[in-house]
Amino acid sequence: MSVKKKFKGLSDKAVGWLFIGPTVLLLLAINIYPLVYAIKMSFTNFYANKIGREPQFIGLKNYIKVLNKEAIWEKMQVTASFMFWTLLLQAIIGLGLALLLNRKFKGNELLTTLIVLPMMLSPAVVGVFWTYLYNPQVGLFNYVINFFYDFGSFDMIGSSMLAPWSIVIVDTWMWTPFTMLICLAGLRSVPNYLYEAAEVDRASKWQQFIYITLPSVLPFLLLALLFRGIENFKMFDMVVELTSGGPGSATELASINLKREAFEKWKTGYSSAFAVILFVTIFGFGNVYVKVMNKIKER
Amino acid sequence: MILLFVSLFSFSVNSNAKSITLGWAAWDPANALQELTKEFTAETGINVNFEFVPWPNFADRMLNELNNKGKTFDLLIGDSQWIGAGAVYGHYVKLNDFFNKEGISMSDFSPATVYAYSTWPKGSENYYALPAMGDALAWAYRKDWFDRPELRSEFKKKHGYDLGVPANWNQLHDMCKFFQGREIDGQKRYGAAINTERGSEGITMGVTAAMYAWGMEYENPNKPYDMEGYFNSPQAVEAVEFYRKLYEDCAPPGHSDAYMVANLDAYKSGQVAFQMNWYAFWPGVSKEDSGGRVSGFFANPKQNVAAATLGGQGISVVKYSDKQDLALEYIKWFARPDVQQKWWDLGGYSCHNDVLNSPSFPTSTVYAQGFLDSMGIVKDFWQEPTFVELMLPMQEAIHDYVVNGKGTAKEALDKIIAEWVEVFEADGKL
Repeated sequence: MSVKKKFKGLSDKAVGWLFIGPTVLLLLAINIYPLVYAIKMSFTNFYANKIGREPQFIGLKNYIKVLNKEAIWEKMQVTASFMFWTLLLQAIIGLGLALLLNRKFKGNELLTTLIVLPMMLSPAVVGVFWTYLYNPQVGLFNYVINFFYDFGSFDMIGSSMLAPWSIVIVDTWMWTPFTMLICLAGLRSVPNYLYEAAEVDRASKWQQFIYITLPSVLPFLLLALLFRGIENFKMFDMVVELTSGGPGSATELASINLKREAFEKWKTGYSSAFAVILFVTIFGFGNVYVKVMNKIKER
Repeated sequence: MILLFVSLFSFSVNSNAKSITLGWAAWDPANALQELTKEFTAETGINVNFEFVPWPNFADRMLNELNNKGKTFDLLIGDSQWIGAGAVYGHYVKLNDFFNKEGISMSDFSPATVYAYSTWPKGSENYYALPAMGDALAWAYRKDWFDRPELRSEFKKKHGYDLGVPANWNQLHDMCKFFQGREIDGQKRYGAAINTERGSEGITMGVTAAMYAWGMEYENPNKPYDMEGYFNSPQAVEAVEFYRKLYEDCAPPGHSDAYMVANLDAYKSGQVAFQMNWYAFWPGVSKEDSGGRVSGFFANPKQNVAAATLGGQGISVVKYSDKQDLALEYIKWFARPDVQQKWWDLGGYSCHNDVLNSPSFPTSTVYAQGFLDSMGIVKDFWQEPTFVELMLPMQEAIHDYVVNGKGTAKEALDKIIAEWVEVFEADGKL
């Protein structure tokens, strides 16, 4: 029997399921099942490395423990601070660069390519080579800073005051081009006639920026920040390579702490509860953010 | 046709060749072992493949392999702290019957190393490894600088005693501080490269060198796992405070996340007068003395008691290996006194009494006497199956206090005890 004949009797719905079936199965296997399993584990005292020990149901104990642990709130604070500063800097610098590159000038393409280069690199590699740049004795970063003003010897990674800034600087260096590209796409979609009309109405450049450019580019900027926010909430590799979460726990983000609890201390139940809390947090914030973004778009 | 025949023949020869795989950390002694093992292959026809993993990933890689019951390794030279997990979780083959059958006696090896690298429960006669590589945390110093008359007289004038091997940690601090920021031969130098690494075990290994010397005990000797008043005793607190002082006063700039390689680099590049490191590195350091650099070595200085942080490893047969017989053959060969002597000659640290008790041993290298002294006073971190869970809170809390300057030493130690209690409770020990 030919294949054509075999499928001849299938309804459109069945063919549709045939197409999306593999994807749905894959999604169930690698996304939904682990999520459900993690939720189930979060109510137990399971330790993945304790072979032969059956997990016992302990109710909400893990959740209470996570939420009452001072150290967890410290990590959340470090994460929030990291997100706030990186998003703020990336929004301002990214938009600024996009405005600059939206103008036509000689070398525009080359400059765009150069600016975009950092985000092509692997975060782990970036983390490693910035440790050299930050070296207080031979690092280029310290040399450049001291060239403009002599601060003397300072240790970006070893100082609890400077280390949080060290990761903010690297993330901003690496990911501002992403914000810039999205903003640039937004800027290029603004029709020229709007500016021409504004010129006719004798609007100043500043007024054109406030009333035309900014509203047009804002949805794009917010979208870029949404992506960056989600990425930075789960930031891991770059920070581990750069500071290992140190000095002490000064740069230990929630994701790094989660990895340590789950795969070094092997507190599977406890870390599952922590992961669920993080998931709910990011999911909740994400939803509110998208709603706000849609409202801005509708205006 | 001939080529086809030859290639088929060589394939058949290769597939019949006996081979085993040995896993260890990627460092100088591993290269020495590789060299030594050529003799094993020549004698037995068994090829030994080596997989050496860089230190920062060593524990993760090996422990994951064991937890997953992997067959990659037939032999594993694992850290002393892993012996508990190796025995309790059944990762290592118990070697008692094999030792009895082959006439290998543990009394032929240094007692401290047998206790630390081979037995579980500690001090029992259940052996899960053969002591392979004796090691302890020690110090190297720039003897060429110490011998300079102008520096010697300046130091003596300032401190009232001679610049030389420090008799205790206070003297070590004096000497390190003496060199901190000093210009020698036109270059700015610093005091000491000490362990401050956050990610794996670095700062714990460093700070315990001080804590042991101050007389710290992990637990009440009469009541196991009772840590209050022992691990956070006033002496332990003082030792941790001292370690922070040593870091603040004497470490080179940027030495905030440093362990073995970073300490070696700081020393080799002429930045520091002292480096803290494992004996395993001293053959390399000694061999590379050049351009006027002369290195001296000494065991961990005493403070209230003489003590040193234990390093080193035993060699174990992996339970999940399909070639346990070949792996045991290797252990039988490695335990031979003549092989142990060659192991020491090549730069490995033998734990065999025939080697260590030989009259020529103390003078065989400049660091041999220090090694002997150290192996008599070693103390180790918890060797519990949960040692990783025990190590992590200590890394965080000590790094937070010493490098980050957060809180007090007492608070850091109290925090560690609270975390350890949780780990022991989860393990059913408390």
